[in-house]
Amino acid sequence: MKVRSLLDELSARALDAPWLLSALGPVSPYGERVFDTCVPFRPGEEVPAATRARRVAGIAEKLLPAALDAARETMRSVPDAGTAIARASMGDALSDANLLELLRYVDACLRLDTLTGDVPELDRVANEAVRAVLGTLERGRAGGFGFYLDDAFAADLAAARASLAQMQAEYDAVRGRSVAAAAQALGREISGTEFIVMREDLRGSLPAGVRVVREAPTYVLCEIDADDASLAALDRRERAAAEVAAAEAGVRTALSDVVRTHAAALDASMQAFGTNDVLVAAARFAQQYRCVVADVVARPVVSFEEGVYVPLARELEREGRSFTPIALQLEDSAVLTGPNMGGKSVALRTCGFIALCAALGVPVPAARATVGLFGEIVWLGAGTEGEGGLLSSFAREVVRLRDVMNRGRTPALALLDEFARTTTPREGRAIVVAVLASLREAGAIAFAATHLSGVAEGAGVRHFAVRGLRGIPERPATDDLHAALQTLAASMDYTIEEVREGQERSSDAIALASLLGLDSRVVEAAYRELRNPATWTP
Amino acid sequence: MAHARVGDSILDLALATGARSLFVVGTGKNVGKTVAMRAVYDAALARGIAPGLSSIGRDGEAVDAGDSGSKPRLFLRPGTIVATARDVLPSTPASEVVELSRLRTAAGTLAYARVRSGAYYELVGPPTASGMREVVETLLRHASYAMVDGAVDRVAALAGGGDAIVVATGAAAHATPDDALQEARALVARLTIRRYDGSDEVVRVDGALGAAAAAEFIRVRERRVILVRDATQVVLSGRSALTALERLRIRCEQELRVVAVTVSSAGRDGWFEPRSFVQEVARATGLPSFDVYTAERAS
Repeated sequence: MKVRSLLDELSARALDAPWLLSALGPVSPYGERVFDTCVPFRPGEEVPAATRARRVAGIAEKLLPAALDAARETMRSVPDAGTAIARASMGDALSDANLLELLRYVDACLRLDTLTGDVPELDRVANEAVRAVLGTLERGRAGGFGFYLDDAFAADLAAARASLAQMQAEYDAVRGRSVAAAAQALGREISGTEFIVMREDLRGSLPAGVRVVREAPTYVLCEIDADDASLAALDRRERAAAEVAAAEAGVRTALSDVVRTHAAALDASMQAFGTNDVLVAAARFAQQYRCVVADVVARPVVSFEEGVYVPLARELEREGRSFTPIALQLEDSAVLTGPNMGGKSVALRTCGFIALCAALGVPVPAARATVGLFGEIVWLGAGTEGEGGLLSSFAREVVRLRDVMNRGRTPALALLDEFARTTTPREGRAIVVAVLASLREAGAIAFAATHLSGVAEGAGVRHFAVRGLRGIPERPATDDLHAALQTLAASMDYTIEEVREGQERSSDAIALASLLGLDSRVVEAAYRELRNPATWTP
Repeated sequence: MAHARVGDSILDLALATGARSLFVVGTGKNVGKTVAMRAVYDAALARGIAPGLSSIGRDGEAVDAGDSGSKPRLFLRPGTIVATARDVLPSTPASEVVELSRLRTAAGTLAYARVRSGAYYELVGPPTASGMREVVETLLRHASYAMVDGAVDRVAALAGGGDAIVVATGAAAHATPDDALQEARALVARLTIRRYDGSDEVVRVDGALGAAAAAEFIRVRERRVILVRDATQVVLSGRSALTALERLRIRCEQELRVVAVTVSSAGRDGWFEPRSFVQEVARATGLPSFDVYTAERAS
């Protein structure tokens, strides 16, 4: 899946797109080929995006998790028969390994159709060509999972092989007699092709039929010479082997012809197999994270209830904590304020993640959602550090914003996480206000999380805020960070609500610093400073 | 000095360990690993044991892919299972392809095949230790005994396997008998590092014990037991291995089972005096030693 047309690398990383793509990733080589060609739906493709998401949801609804896993396992273990089919279509004779790949593929097709037979959203993969190939190769099935060019494939094969076995036995016998005679004469075992006879052990010359390969001062390196009888037996064996080779080549050519005849239909089957793999992977994702089909609309909007930022939810779950789902109605640019650690960045990420899921044509992790398709989803601000070489954080942000504006992929969803936080509050506010206005003018939805005051009023956009701490939480008895985070999560109200003009919100920063274990003398001093009207600058 | 049925003798020693797999590892190239494995293979077949064969790297080709010299070939009999690159499986007479693997070798992906008619086979196995462990496990699903022709000193594949091990040495890889003796003694000493009995204070080495770490232990006159996971973690050879093993108390958590040494006195460009060489090898390593060309045993 190529998402670069929708997300640049930093935005993809900020929204955990690599994880999402991995979670949506197919397991078979056929699925990988289909997945590689997938691109996000663009504005104007709302109907196909919603149709695909409904198809995925239908699969997730009809197949139990165990059935989805069984289908995935079937697809995971199937070898890639694509090269074999391509070679056959070029007129090449297939190898036995190729024929086993085909046999395993047609077996997987039948199994997959059996597992997913009640799901109309998945195409059948076992077409007439698959059945024809199965009928042809069935005689070669060996030991359940193997393939052998069995005698049953051709009338002359059994006879040719029987003759070869007999000629081999005759050659072994003739050769064995020569070896045994030499071994007896030398009074020792001769096991390999070459052997050493010590000169001190030799009484007279070497036994008949033993040839010197190389001489050394104390020994001779020898081998058993091929006498007339051996050579005649070898010749008979080689002729028998040639007959077997011709018979086997004939069978392989005939089997390859069957594959060649059905190459186009087999190709269609592989395409369907790959598509099913991709759809099943998406269905598994939808099932696992309780996703719903979003109402995909032809206007820039990201609106949802009980939205979940899945990558963080998984991380919290691993630590025995839980994600508090959030609701948001973003139909135009807006500002989000609230306390530190109150989930502002997560709210932005949830917006981006849900918009990304909708663009990929998969159900979204929310209870309800209405989402538009965007020309670009971009993350600007915190969380994109570490890139940009010699540029400062501020310069990097500005350069990226410049690039987004120059690209002009409308409508854009711009997620600004504390944009311009590294400059003075006064100028930072001015820049954010101007950026919001400019993006809005360009038809983008900009959602800006900030600690700067008066941005929403300045830009004339809606103002949302995270409710924040329900009270000042008790500091844990120890400096256990995990306990502090648990206390914080229990005390924080992550609800996002619209703020009326003139309402002021605390950032709860000093209380949080105390909770996180900052020295109490520092905390007290901070409170004193906060209360001192002489030093307070609005 | 006594004549011996080399393959039978080595197979007896290997089976006595209870292991279901045998690795032949060498002190260098062309030291007779394939010849030794072929002797054990013939012995196994004669006893009705269904063998499974593979190679770390490439073996059984008519000429050495590295230096174009001639190599011993592997004529395999019906019932044998091979794990080799699918592209080097002989196209005729056909083999039964029993399993396809996604493991990669130098000659493409790996396949497992059952020999149906006798033919010459080339063995090209995966180059990685983990890949080879997977191969041995799979071979043992289809065969009753697995044998692996090791590449030059690729002992990492022995880790955690419980295999019987045969060390091969010979004239082809060493300029003098003394050089060959030293390498064989070092490799055997390394592979036969004793298990830690729990009685002494230890310094645990996580990962490989290389020359730099060993030199530092010697410099500080470390008297504690230096504990490694198994002998494959000791990445030393020749004189440095012998010195480290003499001066340090290196022990392991899992012992390896080295059962014999084979020698090949005839090299392509030189030769060693066979009888004295096999006797010296036996003396230096303390293991039953076999000359696969003279069919003699020294203990």
